[in-house]
Amino acid sequence: MLIDKGYTKVRPLAGGLDGWIDAGFPVEDVA
Amino acid sequence: MIHLVHYVLVYGVSLIFINVLLEQLGAPVPAVPALIVAGALSRDGKMSSTNILLAALAASLVADYMWFLLGRRYGYRILRTLCRISLSPDSCVRDTEARFERWGLKSLLIAKFIPGFSTVAPPLAGSSGSGTLAFVFYDGIGALIWAGAAVAAGRAFHRAIDRLLAALENLGGWALVVIGSLLVVLIAVKWAQRLHFLKQLRLARIEPRELKAMFDRGELPIVLDVRTPGARKHNPRAIPNAILAHMDDVATQLGDLAPHTEVVLYCT
Repeated sequence: MLIDKGYTKVRPLAGGLDGWIDAGFPVEDVA
Repeated sequence: MIHLVHYVLVYGVSLIFINVLLEQLGAPVPAVPALIVAGALSRDGKMSSTNILLAALAASLVADYMWFLLGRRYGYRILRTLCRISLSPDSCVRDTEARFERWGLKSLLIAKFIPGFSTVAPPLAGSSGSGTLAFVFYDGIGALIWAGAAVAAGRAFHRAIDRLLAALENLGGWALVVIGSLLVVLIAVKWAQRLHFLKQLRLARIEPRELKAMFDRGELPIVLDVRTPGARKHNPRAIPNAILAHMDDVATQLGDLAPHTEVVLYCT
């Protein structure tokens, strides 16, 4: 959808949020 | 000579049960063709429509209830495992969540008609804390609608299907070779498509360590959290400075951002 709108550098994060957390990187609370 | 129809008639209901069970468990074995053939045979009075539907219903409930329990026990992790073997892991998780959040358990009524959603919907129902009785009710009706549609199609086109069965029977033992070969080719083609798609997807993705390195270098890509509200409620954390976006109007939320801006998006 974003690429259709003209954005050329769009990449999904491998593993999603779980992959980021599993790698031990910081997260912030959004509650 | 193998009397194909004879064996179908003798073991038909058991075959339907096993076929539907395997498909609903996630095996790449389509059950609709068997249901259509069974429907055609029922139109000729050779099988009972009621028994066919009951077999399909029982198999669906057994498989779906197992996924439901796994979803209840392991939550989103079982959903991610299921989606990992689908064609598009990211959109699989997000799309099924969105569909389920929009329709709730009623989505089970049409789940079996939507590729990919059929196997994912039951564990999603389990992980969302749905009640067992309500799940069995909607899932059972959904299974009956799905199997009923296939059986009705078989009954409507029974003459063409009878001719096909007669042709297969004339092939004798080769009929099994033909059917088996077609099944192997079908699975091989699907598997090759999946591998090709996953390879493309891997090339287009960014690894967590790569994104972290960008942050550390002071590069600030736009990070979009495109999880559904339910997923955010389940895990109320996000990557620092990520924009909480909705996939339907994410382009609007980005506003007049330059087209060459680096955008990273993530879901569950």
